[in-house]
Amino acid sequence: MISKWVGKRMVMGIVVLFIVSFLSFFIMQAAPGDPATAFYGGNAQTLTAAEKERITRAYALDRPVAEQYLAWLGETVKGNLGTSSKEGRPVSEIIMERLPNTLLLFSVTMFFIVIGSIWLGTVAGMRAGSIWDKGLSTFSIATSSIPAFWLGILFIYFFAVTLGVLPSSGSSDVDGNGGVVDKVRHLIMPASVLIVTHVGIYARFLQESIKIENSQYYVKVARANGVTERSIRKGIVRNASIPYLNYIAITIPSFFGGSIIVESLFAWAGIGQLTVKAVATKDFPLLMGSIMVTGVLVVVTLFIVDLIMYAIDPKLRKGGVR
Amino acid sequence: MIEVKDLSIEIKDQHITKHIDFTIRRGKITSLIGESGSGKSMTVSALLGLLPIDAKVSGYVMYEGRNILDASVQEMASLRRQDIFTIFQDASNSFNPSVKLGHQLYTFSGERVGDTLDVFNEKMHVILDQLGLAWEVVEQYPFQLSGGMLQRCMIACAFYVEPALLIADEPTSALDMVLQKEFIQLLIRLNEERGTTILLITHDLDIVAEAAHEMAVMQQGTIVEMGTVETVFSNPRDAYTKRLLESRF
Repeated sequence: MISKWVGKRMVMGIVVLFIVSFLSFFIMQAAPGDPATAFYGGNAQTLTAAEKERITRAYALDRPVAEQYLAWLGETVKGNLGTSSKEGRPVSEIIMERLPNTLLLFSVTMFFIVIGSIWLGTVAGMRAGSIWDKGLSTFSIATSSIPAFWLGILFIYFFAVTLGVLPSSGSSDVDGNGGVVDKVRHLIMPASVLIVTHVGIYARFLQESIKIENSQYYVKVARANGVTERSIRKGIVRNASIPYLNYIAITIPSFFGGSIIVESLFAWAGIGQLTVKAVATKDFPLLMGSIMVTGVLVVVTLFIVDLIMYAIDPKLRKGGVR
Repeated sequence: MIEVKDLSIEIKDQHITKHIDFTIRRGKITSLIGESGSGKSMTVSALLGLLPIDAKVSGYVMYEGRNILDASVQEMASLRRQDIFTIFQDASNSFNPSVKLGHQLYTFSGERVGDTLDVFNEKMHVILDQLGLAWEVVEQYPFQLSGGMLQRCMIACAFYVEPALLIADEPTSALDMVLQKEFIQLLIRLNEERGTTILLITHDLDIVAEAAHEMAVMQQGTIVEMGTVETVFSNPRDAYTKRLLESRF
């Protein structure tokens, strides 16, 4: 049963990645100017005719677009994301240098967002009409309305410029020997911006799910029969977490979009910042590679979320109707 | 056992019950009968201390010499846990859909009376067997069983707990005729074998005739008639009761 389910999810993931690759490649083609020139990146003026000829051959730029796409896709599937037209190094090598930072930022922020939103959402959801209930509604609207870049600028101004307690940018000190403490100091602000702008809205969603679950018939039956509030709460949170996880799954792609802005603002050396840099320098191999790797991260995260839902919801396993 | 005196419930300026009086005698099956919307279920909610927050309630519900309308939320939770078991109408939605029945049956019965899981397994095995349910149901999720089987699971918990008072709120209305009969027989068995006092809420006179010793007839939030089933059936005094009985035949 689970192997069939996993197989289905993997096929869906591959289809999603295929669509991502298709869109990213053809959006490049639709960009203004000659795609071949775009592939030369910022070096177009300085390249010799021989070098241009080499790049043209390498990326099949003189062949029809469909063939170019298939050639690029075939190489990508083999793990060869091409060579950065700006840096002249393999794209996979550049991405692998940045990937740990992105994974660190993502895992730390998601950990605190999930823990914080479950706590806030549960406390507020179980106390309908209380100050917690109303307070969370206001908090979630306020925090999710603040643009991440604006909050980031405020954080930089306050913690880096005014107080001078945290570094304003980067993911490590210049010499790179600061160790864990240095990493944490650099991580605090970008992670905090992502946490603050997301935790409220995630908590609000859970709060509403808990309120709905709290009014279910089985909860009334349990209360009438003296089941302890602790047991009832456990059941409510478990069931409310199913739509909550769905919400996380739906918002994961936009979360990655938000993290691109935050990485750029804080010069956090991750995939997001790399993507922005690739756009700015028209380094198309690097850009497509970054988008593909981000796509893989999204698909893997969604797969993990789906696995958790599969474990929590017996109706997914037993084929019932929810 | 329970004496309801002058009980009035009002929600959002609407009178749900108006000065109602009735008695549930120990060891008897008392039926509260009336049409939909007559206030039966809200009366049950008042007995359980589970009225909506915005409900205004006055009067007395005397239990063991004490007005439980004055009890705190914690005291009522404790009372429900110790003395009362309630079976509701919609068995299909009475259990948490994400938890196996075995765990839920334990929560509703064994854990409630302080039994270990081993003791529960042994006792519940016997009860389920007596009620014609295979032990395998404990490994099932609620959505894998029929409404009739789930209602029997509920009454299995009542057999296990042996509560001082069993409240059955329209327990058969979601069941077909055959299952209705079976269920009522189980209620009678529980009353006869264990001496359990039962408050049976229904709108079905046949069920009252078959199971109850005493009955109270409710109409538009008031009790219009009360007495033994034999007396009320043979000599109804209220016009509404007469109409109800006439519609039966």
